[in-house]
Amino acid sequence: MSKRTPEQSGPDEPGAEVETPTGTRRNFFRYVTGGIAACIGLGLAFPLAAYFVSPALTRRKPSWVSVGNVDDLPVGKPQTLDHPMTVKDGWMEHKAVKAVWAVRQSDRQVKVFSPICPHLGCGVRWNQQDGQFQCPCHGSVYDRNGHVVAGPAPRSLDELPSKIEDGELKVIYKEFKAGLTTQVEL
Amino acid sequence: MASRLYAWLDRRLRLQPIEKTLLDEPIPGGASWIYVFGSATLFLFVLQAVTGMFLAVYYVPSPDHAYDTVQYIQREVWFGWFVRGLHHWGASAVMLAIGLHMLQVFFDGAYKPPREILWMVGVALFLMMLAFGFTGYLLPWDQNAYWATQVGLNMAGTVPGVGEFLMRVLRGGDTLGALTLSRFFAIHVLILPSMILVGIMLHLFILRRVGPAGPWNEERARQRRETFYPRQVYMDAVVMFGTFLVVGVLAATVEFPLADKADPTDNAFVPVPEWYFLFYYQLLKYVHGPLAPLAVWVLPTIFFIVLFLLPFLDRRPDRRISRRPVTLGAGVIFLLCVFTLLGLSLGDLYAVPKTDPSVIRGRDLVEKHACKACHRIHGEGAAIAPDLSYVADRRPEREWHLRHFRDPASVSPGSFMPKYSLPDRELNDLTNYMLTLKGGAGR
Repeated sequence: MSKRTPEQSGPDEPGAEVETPTGTRRNFFRYVTGGIAACIGLGLAFPLAAYFVSPALTRRKPSWVSVGNVDDLPVGKPQTLDHPMTVKDGWMEHKAVKAVWAVRQSDRQVKVFSPICPHLGCGVRWNQQDGQFQCPCHGSVYDRNGHVVAGPAPRSLDELPSKIEDGELKVIYKEFKAGLTTQVEL
Repeated sequence: MASRLYAWLDRRLRLQPIEKTLLDEPIPGGASWIYVFGSATLFLFVLQAVTGMFLAVYYVPSPDHAYDTVQYIQREVWFGWFVRGLHHWGASAVMLAIGLHMLQVFFDGAYKPPREILWMVGVALFLMMLAFGFTGYLLPWDQNAYWATQVGLNMAGTVPGVGEFLMRVLRGGDTLGALTLSRFFAIHVLILPSMILVGIMLHLFILRRVGPAGPWNEERARQRRETFYPRQVYMDAVVMFGTFLVVGVLAATVEFPLADKADPTDNAFVPVPEWYFLFYYQLLKYVHGPLAPLAVWVLPTIFFIVLFLLPFLDRRPDRRISRRPVTLGAGVIFLLCVFTLLGLSLGDLYAVPKTDPSVIRGRDLVEKHACKACHRIHGEGAAIAPDLSYVADRRPEREWHLRHFRDPASVSPGSFMPKYSLPDRELNDLTNYMLTLKGGAGR
């Protein structure tokens, strides 16, 4: 070990000689210390970053909910059905009941529409007399297949994924951005 | 690039003198592996601070949510189990590091003049770390947290005169509940951290003013002096790395499960304190009747007063081990007592097989849902479906059981077992019971 005398001296013995490693030996200590700092830093940074962004990158999985028996639905006449679901909000869960419009097309075919008007998000109703879906807010009108007939609506009613299993109608509830010509899921 | 940035900053902020003061500090007798415990403690403290901040991202200090948020961190947040594990094992490690640091200072006589204030600030830091441990233990709001805190608060309540008031203040009223949890949280994450930061800065400032003590042999101390950087820094870094690896591996491999959610009505629950309080827990078992206050608060109070005033009680400046028989003898006897009590306590804990109440409920659920109509467990039940007597040997993973109960075919293709969509709590109880069914144990 080589010696040098720094100008600055210790508190108790002023001016005494203080050793310090130099050259490659000093570099060795420097690189090991730096390497360790980098390892610990990265070892923490990666899990902590993942931990922090995790909720932003996890999408909740939609689940099929049974909304009723297909045989209870009259053909061609839209029915509003309750869609009970559990909404997960972080560590909390609450039950929510949404409504969906189900239109039985034929024996084994059902179209399910979101009740939310794609114009600005009001709830559309079925008018049995006119045979139309009507939005009470801004007057958008849709036929029984969800196509726009009149009013400011930019697109058809949003159809929801549905399937029939053992005679039960199952639906996934989704919401879409209002005011766009194309469907963009929220 | 880095050196140019440094030069640029140095021209403006004159960094070099500060760098010299920080790095060229002379260590009497040279750098040594003996001096690493203080740095290890500081490192672990920083680790606790960082992981604590991240835990606070999802934690909510309310009895309605605390337990659920910790579950959520543990199960759903990416690396949540790891961050919580680091914080848990880091808490144990920091206690161990403080213990070793204090022992080194004690046996080296490094608390003697002129380092009395350094020692006293250190004892204050130690007390704050214990307060961190006590307040942090309640936060997960599980049975262990609840009942251990109940015991701790009641102990404070036995101090004559001020005890009752002290207990009510700590508890925030009559009962351990929402007010206790929110004040423990505020103390743990806001008040103590700001206090301890000041304490740590003071501790380091004093160390820099009086300088490190070096070896007790003055001849050796005079012979050689070495700068703090790079060799001592390197040794500190190596030990920090080792510490990080150990804590990280423990966090990644040893699960630290939550007990059931705190249930104030369940007074059958027996809480067990953290290992660093176990010796004291054991002492309380031996001291009864009129002597009880002695163990509960007289001895601890005397201990901390003596510890705090040690530099003034043991005043001879000679640091040589051979010249300090009384002090060192007292220290050794204290350590022997602590380790004997710790050993006895561990012996007791392992001798009495504790059955988790959740396991008992799980066993009841097996009866309730007539699982033995198909499964056989230790000779009871039909042999239609697989024998579950030692199921945990085959299937030790908790996740597997939870998924299996919800949808057997999803993890065991072709299984004809019906799906059991029970509440999470019941699935958890059943799984806890299943996991006890392994060779030799579980009955």
